[in-house]
Amino acid sequence: MKGFDEIQQLWHGQAPDPSVSFNTVLKRIKNSRSALAKKLFWQSISMGVAVAILLWMCLTVDFSTWTTYLAIAIMVGCICYYFVSQLRDYRTISNSRDLLSKPQDYIHYLKTFQQKRNRFNTRNYTTYEGCIAIAFALYGIEMYFALPLWTFIGLVVFVIFWFVICHVVFMKQYIRNENARIAEMIDNLERIKDQFNESKER
Amino acid sequence: MSNQRQLFQQLFEENSKRVYHLCYGYTGDSDSANDLMQETFIKVWQNLDRFRNQSQFSTWIYRIAVNTCLSYLRTAKRRATDELNDNIIENYAEEPSEKQEQIALLYKSIAQLEENERIIITMVLDEVPYPEIAEVAGISEGNLRVKIHRIKHKLTEIYNSNERV
Repeated sequence: MKGFDEIQQLWHGQAPDPSVSFNTVLKRIKNSRSALAKKLFWQSISMGVAVAILLWMCLTVDFSTWTTYLAIAIMVGCICYYFVSQLRDYRTISNSRDLLSKPQDYIHYLKTFQQKRNRFNTRNYTTYEGCIAIAFALYGIEMYFALPLWTFIGLVVFVIFWFVICHVVFMKQYIRNENARIAEMIDNLERIKDQFNESKER
Repeated sequence: MSNQRQLFQQLFEENSKRVYHLCYGYTGDSDSANDLMQETFIKVWQNLDRFRNQSQFSTWIYRIAVNTCLSYLRTAKRRATDELNDNIIENYAEEPSEKQEQIALLYKSIAQLEENERIIITMVLDEVPYPEIAEVAGISEGNLRVKIHRIKHKLTEIYNSNERV
């Protein structure tokens, strides 16, 4: 049988030490900074290339309908929106003032942030799917005039089939997983918040 | 820049061990504790200019460490206590002396407490003054004393019952 004082002595006698040195932390600070910069750099490059290709198509290919130009504009809009959202998230994460708040407030911040991210991710997936569908439909008008009828019908059937698969299988599964993940996380945060709550003394 | 680096190094040397204990007590495994400790100090570095002397550096670092531990949920699923216990025992398996076994048992017992209790008791074990713990945990000192009394009792009971097994 040990009392608390003996437990405390035990703690002081043999508490394990961290296996990370100051230089390792410093190196990781530099690495994490350059990793983030690298990630942003490559994202900017791929976004730039995709937008450049779409704009190049607009300028060099003589599309016969205005709907194709609208389809390209929607795609460019989607790419830019995605990039700006990513950038905003990186800034929110790295500049979080809430990190220094009381644990109760920080849990509230985490909960709100996660819910916001979840709404963004699930709603974004739906919006993204909708935009791509509209862009394809608009481009389909051009194809209708350019392709033989049966080739056009075959293409439309294939695209519709692919969209149905994406919507029924991938999107539903993704949203279900996201919601389950977030629900578990929120439950855990609520439980911990209750532990820090002064009024819930037992 | 070099002044900032010097200050950071000093803060790391003075606080890393206690921050590590806090993270170890919270997560129950040394790898996660090392990761969380690194993450804490990266955030300390990033927020160094925000420190306004409203509290001690150690309180401020503890606050960041606690919040980093709380956000551990974002990246890792909370594992069952049994799994945590297995990790703790594995971590000490290389040098199985009597004292090491007792320490492993102590961490195993801490892992059986609730999350906020783990945070508070590791600070108590590291002899952090009560007003500082109260500030870090964001509760009143009176309330903290009640909590500490209960947690000490609970930990002692869990430790002794684990020892008997």
